[in-house]
Amino acid sequence: MRRASAKKTGQPNPIPFSHTDLFRSASSKASSKEMERIDNLFYSYCNRSSGMIDPEGIETLCSDMEVHHTDVRILMLAWKMKAEKQGYFTLEEWRRGLKALRADTVSKLKKALPELEKEVRRPTNFLDLYSYSFRYCLTEEKQKSIDIESICQLLDLVLGSQFRAQVDYLIEYLKIQSDYKVINMDQWLGFYRFCNEISFPDFSGYDPELAWPLILDNFVEWMRAKQT
Amino acid sequence: MVLHKFGEKLYSGLVATMTFHLKEICSSIEAAQGGLFLEELNRKWADHNKALQMIRDILMYMDRTFIPSAHKTPVHELGLNLWRDVVIHSSKIQTRLLDTLLELIQGERSGEVINRGLMRNITKMLMDLGSSVYQDDFEKQFLESSADFYRLESQEFIESCDCGEYLKKAERRLNEEIERVSHYLDAKSEAKITNVVEKELIESHMQRLVHMENSGLVNMIVGDKYEDLGRMYSLFRRVASGLVLIRDVMTSYIRETGKQLVTDLERLKDPVDFVQRLLDIKDKYDKIIGSAFSNDKTFQNALNSSFEYFINLNSRSPEYISLFVDDKLRKGLKGVSEEDVEIILDKVMMLFRYLQEKDVFEKYYKQHLAKRLLSGKTVSDDAERSLIVKLKTECGYQFTSKLEGMFTDMKTSEDTMQGFYANVGADLGDGPTLSVQVLTTGSWPTQPINTCNLPTEILSICEKFRNYYLGTHTGRRLTWQTNMGTADLKATFGKGQKHELNVSTYQMCVLMLFNNTDRLTYREIEQAAEIPASDLKRCLQSLACVKGKNVLRKEPMSKDIADSDAFFFNDKFTSKFFKVKIGTVVAQRESEPENQETRQRVEEDRKPQIEAAIVRIMKARRVLDHNNIVTEVTKQLQSRFLPNPVVIKKRIESLIEREFLERDKGDRKLYRYLA
Repeated sequence: MRRASAKKTGQPNPIPFSHTDLFRSASSKASSKEMERIDNLFYSYCNRSSGMIDPEGIETLCSDMEVHHTDVRILMLAWKMKAEKQGYFTLEEWRRGLKALRADTVSKLKKALPELEKEVRRPTNFLDLYSYSFRYCLTEEKQKSIDIESICQLLDLVLGSQFRAQVDYLIEYLKIQSDYKVINMDQWLGFYRFCNEISFPDFSGYDPELAWPLILDNFVEWMRAKQT
Repeated sequence: MVLHKFGEKLYSGLVATMTFHLKEICSSIEAAQGGLFLEELNRKWADHNKALQMIRDILMYMDRTFIPSAHKTPVHELGLNLWRDVVIHSSKIQTRLLDTLLELIQGERSGEVINRGLMRNITKMLMDLGSSVYQDDFEKQFLESSADFYRLESQEFIESCDCGEYLKKAERRLNEEIERVSHYLDAKSEAKITNVVEKELIESHMQRLVHMENSGLVNMIVGDKYEDLGRMYSLFRRVASGLVLIRDVMTSYIRETGKQLVTDLERLKDPVDFVQRLLDIKDKYDKIIGSAFSNDKTFQNALNSSFEYFINLNSRSPEYISLFVDDKLRKGLKGVSEEDVEIILDKVMMLFRYLQEKDVFEKYYKQHLAKRLLSGKTVSDDAERSLIVKLKTECGYQFTSKLEGMFTDMKTSEDTMQGFYANVGADLGDGPTLSVQVLTTGSWPTQPINTCNLPTEILSICEKFRNYYLGTHTGRRLTWQTNMGTADLKATFGKGQKHELNVSTYQMCVLMLFNNTDRLTYREIEQAAEIPASDLKRCLQSLACVKGKNVLRKEPMSKDIADSDAFFFNDKFTSKFFKVKIGTVVAQRESEPENQETRQRVEEDRKPQIEAAIVRIMKARRVLDHNNIVTEVTKQLQSRFLPNPVVIKKRIESLIEREFLERDKGDRKLYRYLA
């Protein structure tokens, strides 16, 4: 077995042994053991015919982890894996994510989630997650926008905990306005900037003559009208 | 004596003697009674001068040698100073002199005649004694008491006169003072005394005068009172911010009346009259500025900006101006000389320049021109072309290239028809004659293509034309524009009366159906003709419901067309004219829904123009912030329309989505051009 894996990595059998070599081979032995467990875990959830973990598999994984499949932590997991298609994990993505989290069993994976959450909360990572979450929802090849309903759900999921009030009003507005039926990445990014930079609920400092997306200009106008 | 070093003695002797002598003169002047005071003073002064001359001559040697070295005042000057100190500044004379002078001037102002020559001599004397003497002993008080006098008088005037009268009086007083100065005061006093008059008579009462009810500026403007206005202008000009006041009041009045005109719903029902009113207003103010305000450029500018302001308050102004032009080119210019035509067209251009939405004007102009050309109803080809040239000069080639294309199409069609009849004429026999205008799609206003079944009687000749044309122009596609054509039908009615009916193509299709039957229901007509419902209903209305043109009879006789109505050929139709015109191809003021539609199309057309401007700007500047883009875009498009900043923002976002632009990653207030 080992010879086979050595063949895979293309490493020649080490001939003179030093302590570092011993250590290295020991750790490579351990890491390949880990990779084996990760792969096995993958196969336990994956769909035989497609060779990927599909939504059903993810649901099973989630219940095993005792996390709801709509929980934002699953999104974070997908982000960590750099998963491309929503609802599916490939072997490569699985490996990437679990290796980074240093988890090769379900319980380890579950234990890694709080750490992952903290990591995501760091501002640079969060922005990355935020843009990732939009792309993750695009299903068709040339698709550039997401419908309002889905955007509302996504907003709630990703920003809800941090910016509860703004998100609630924004969702309300998005549902009643009729100028836009879909939201694109530019507008999506605008929402986050808006929550981050503009104080709420007074919106002081918001200037519609700057480069804010028009949909936010309309949102602020609507809010201001409500407030009087 | 000087030679013998007795200069000092001589000099002081001179001083003493002269002083003593002058004191005597002083008393004699003081003794003079009433009116003789000045005369006495004058005479003594003349004597003194003469004496001084002689003394100077005699003591010339001393003047030249002793005096400079001993730094003494020269003789002549000494003589003057002594006169000043002893006589003029003597306690009894000083005030009396001043009072007398002022009294006399006051008297003259009240209409008395005074001795001007005497006055001149006295004031000249004071000037000779030194300008400070003139000022201190006369001028200062003169100015002050004049101010008091005019303050009171102006108050009196303003309570009792209307604006025009007041201004006349003020002008009179002003001229009086100027004349006074020229006759017996020092020239330098002119500016000072006119300042006093201007301040007291004009400046203090400016506001009240301008706004005076029933006689102020507005009243003068309304009544075209050029003389009063001119007077006001020349008087107020003398005062700081006087003209500004006039200009501001005039401007707000123009804006007010203009605004009323463009929002007056009654007036707006007649576009031609509306535009004529605009032209009349412009003429009125041009005349006022020309004859009363000496063509002051700032007033011209104020007039222009006012027009620009209120013309654009009404979004239908472009349409109305085009309708005005249409009316003129259709009939209004009949019989008018070439020069006068040019004048009217230039005036139209002037209104055109004020429009913010020139692209809307273009759209309507095109529509109206199309109708004029196709119905052959233009009074003068030259006038049409002249206006196009003017538009081209104003807006550039792009604006008018399509319009010119329309003219070209008309001409080409003429040639085509000639070729057609030459070629195919022999085969046609006795059938209907056809006249076709072939329109190039891009140049003419776009029309939706409607269905319409042409009557069999003309199908054959239409086909022949189509074949002929396509035979000589391969690769083209022809579509009959059935909503734009006309037809002349020969109709025979019940008692054998014959008429020639001039109708639209749709009307022709409907009428021809009655060749085979006397009665048709609406549905049957709709089925046979296949004309869209709203057009068909309008068409039937014009054939059955209009008095004098009812070649069809409708049951029931109501004004509206219901699906269940039946139509009959009206045997009993009569008209005193042989030729009866029923078709309507005349340009008309759009209905509200039509207007909305046109506006929508204009907005759609603007989107690519705005995008093109944004891309041009970003290509040149690479990186730019939002505000600057808006400013630049507005500048670039201002010759066509005023872009809405919200629309600009939307276009930018669309360009971002299509990856022409992106937001700068470092500073999200900036946009970046993507090559």
